[in-house]
Amino acid sequence: MKTHDTRSQSSQSSQSGQSGQASQMSQQGDAERIGGVEVERLPRDPRTGQALAPRMQPGYYPGFSTLSQQSFWDEATRAVVLKRVNQPPPITFFDADEARVMQTVCDRVLPQDDRAPDRRIPILNTIDERLASGRINGYRYADMPPDPQAYRLAIKGIEAIAQSMGATTFTELNLRQQDLTLKSLHDGHPIAGDEYWRQMNARRFWLMLVSDCAGAYYAHPWAWDEIGFGGPAYPRGYMRLRDGQPEPWEKVEHRYEWEAPPESLSDTMESLSDTPEASSFTPGTH
Amino acid sequence: MKEPLFGAFDGAKPDEHYVGPIQRIDAPMRHYPRGEAVDFVVVGVGSAGGVLIQRLAKAGFSVVGLEAGPFWDTERDWVSDEAGSHGLYWNDLRIIGGSDPLALGANNSGKGVGGGSVHWAGFTPRLHPSDFRVRSDDGVAVDWPISYDDLKPYYELMEREIPVAGPTYYPWGDPHGYSYAPHPLGGVSQTLVRGCTRLGIPVVAGGPVAINSGSHGSRPHCIYRGFCIQGCKVGAKQSTLVSHVPDAIRHGAELRDKCMVARINLGKDGRVTGVTYYDEHGQEQEQRASVVIVSGYAIETPRLLLNSACPGFEQGLANSSGTLGKYLMAQIGNVVFGRFDDLVRMYKAPPANALTEEFYETDPRNDFVRGYAIQTVGPLPISFAQHMMVAQGAWGWGLRRTMMDYNHWSALGVLGEILPWEDNTVTLADVRDGFGLPVARVTFNLHENDHKIAQAGVQKTEEIMRAAGATEVTQEPRYAHLVGGARMGADASDSVVNSFGRTWDIPNLYVCDGSILPTQGSANPGLTIQALAARTADYLISERENAAAPTAATRIPVRYSLSPSEVAGRGMPRLKSRRPTTFGAGALGPGSRG
Repeated sequence: MKTHDTRSQSSQSSQSGQSGQASQMSQQGDAERIGGVEVERLPRDPRTGQALAPRMQPGYYPGFSTLSQQSFWDEATRAVVLKRVNQPPPITFFDADEARVMQTVCDRVLPQDDRAPDRRIPILNTIDERLASGRINGYRYADMPPDPQAYRLAIKGIEAIAQSMGATTFTELNLRQQDLTLKSLHDGHPIAGDEYWRQMNARRFWLMLVSDCAGAYYAHPWAWDEIGFGGPAYPRGYMRLRDGQPEPWEKVEHRYEWEAPPESLSDTMESLSDTPEASSFTPGTH
Repeated sequence: MKEPLFGAFDGAKPDEHYVGPIQRIDAPMRHYPRGEAVDFVVVGVGSAGGVLIQRLAKAGFSVVGLEAGPFWDTERDWVSDEAGSHGLYWNDLRIIGGSDPLALGANNSGKGVGGGSVHWAGFTPRLHPSDFRVRSDDGVAVDWPISYDDLKPYYELMEREIPVAGPTYYPWGDPHGYSYAPHPLGGVSQTLVRGCTRLGIPVVAGGPVAINSGSHGSRPHCIYRGFCIQGCKVGAKQSTLVSHVPDAIRHGAELRDKCMVARINLGKDGRVTGVTYYDEHGQEQEQRASVVIVSGYAIETPRLLLNSACPGFEQGLANSSGTLGKYLMAQIGNVVFGRFDDLVRMYKAPPANALTEEFYETDPRNDFVRGYAIQTVGPLPISFAQHMMVAQGAWGWGLRRTMMDYNHWSALGVLGEILPWEDNTVTLADVRDGFGLPVARVTFNLHENDHKIAQAGVQKTEEIMRAAGATEVTQEPRYAHLVGGARMGADASDSVVNSFGRTWDIPNLYVCDGSILPTQGSANPGLTIQALAARTADYLISERENAAAPTAATRIPVRYSLSPSEVAGRGMPRLKSRRPTTFGAGALGPGSRG
């Protein structure tokens, strides 16, 4: 009903708060759309080359819903997860221009064009909230400025790259150019904006950015549904531990083939394990 | 089923403090009058500090534990959620540098009562006898001032107190067995067991881990939910918060949480008088004590001693040797990922479950000394995405694609020995924290032998992953654990403390935590840290008992009677050993004759 609609209202443009003009709007308005998304942004069916319509729930576990299990979670966990779903924090750290650029950056680092616009996961808000509250992961590399400063520098650096490509701002670049810009950070060789990038290690910034985006996306129950992760499991626990068996309330896998939008560069992967910046940004393991 | 049969589960209870779902802090906390000196003040109530305050209080001494983080109510404060567990870690700023900077925070640093034992995965292998003599045997690093046999009774004791679940026969190092049954295999342990078995590599499964396979006292058994390193709400995985702190409080220890110790104070007679700290309101306080024990772990311990520099100790308190803050170690922690056609669902079962130590010892056929272990890990989605950002270089659509296959991936961790090097250090940065105290700068550089171990470990683990049936294999370099920085030794000129943790420079100042390890082997350090804490406690108690007749204590009895009450009467399988069996007839403590 009405309340439910408001609750799941999290289209990217509304999340970016004061930024208003989200990335989708910045492209020309007449492009062909499916399910409210421009066709060039959509993943394809590799057999037909046709764009796949946005889904309420992408991934191979149709009908799986971790939130449907919330009465089996403990109180404290339920409160934390529901707050994340229902109350994305407002944008307070980034100013309007920064938020507009960062929203588009997040849309490329963790694209959600295959998701129905009202089923997208707020990423920028989570990053903004971390920077606004000064939360860090317990360390800073000696060759990096403090995280908030690193983000502000990177936005300037990204804008400088966009300008070197003839645009006035990153959000005006086409998809291929946007991905080229970001790929150059992944590679540790930003295309332009030397005066900003020499103040920090570009690849370390890249790893922080991807970590932050992934940290926001895969913290969300809709992402858990997408990848078939069981989510909170206390106090009920798991009983079927072996052979990848599902619990009675989990779903079996139903795969479908898809390929990234043709203009995208982010589906071809190059390992960073042999780079000097590889040492992990992740929590403990063993 | 949409709802639990009998309605919602209980949550936190107002005005009651729970550590685990059924263990209540059932005694009022004792409060020592401010301004009054106590027998012992322990700085940091983590793996070592939790054991220390429990033993010293149970032995009848007045003890205050100061902990920088909170005293968790696990029902209220902990969640079954990856992102929501951020607060368990030491997230305060540290500067990292060197050729191979060490990621800190969630990777290896806890904050709050229980410390790192709150977020460890719970692997509890012992060190091998060879670990104590690497200088003699391999010509590298240093020998320990004690042998395996000195620590063995404490390994056995802590394995019962934790308690450790594992196989009846553990074949490596000094072979031994565990009193609690091994855990069932999950998808990742199946991978390791299958791969090793196909290659003829011995492997154990179901432990040794600090996770209850049966209920123990007021702690339930494991429910296999996989959130071990997010803090075990179940109370099945041991942290000193659930295993020792309740008993410490019962016996009169005072625990002051959210108290950040700023410096240790030195008296005119060359003995320490106590500590100055900031309480939870940010007010400066002093706690005087006959003995100060620093248990802040490998970074905060050196930092506190360096920040306590004073006339006579300009380079840091107890640092006449110049070794304070040096010889910091982490372990090689590369993770090897394998994608399988079949589903694995690696989020189920404890990530720490199966391992092999077949490649642990020096092998003359290698071009390096010492070795590595291979262990199961089981990263949850956020961690896995961050691993794949490096291992595959995944981002954008590629990251979405890999993550949609999350349930097809398995993950095995290399745990390799990094030797202690003088240039791996904790020093003071020119940045200050909210209290105005200089923060730590951690410098880390891998050396040739370390690189070779990492390479060999990754190669072997990839081989096992492929043998298990993985069709795609990738790996990520990383580090696990921290030890060293205030090492023990036999000589005051090249170490900070002796084997009991007593600083060479100041007779009533002790260090007891992972920072005193001179080398580390390829065993996860948690069990060794707790065993050393129990040994230091026995020493301190014996020392005080012998104070009237101050003959140098040559034999420190193992005080089995100091175990928390629920431990008494628990059995230990008896294996024939080449080494003296401490739990032989007559050696068992009161009530231990299972």
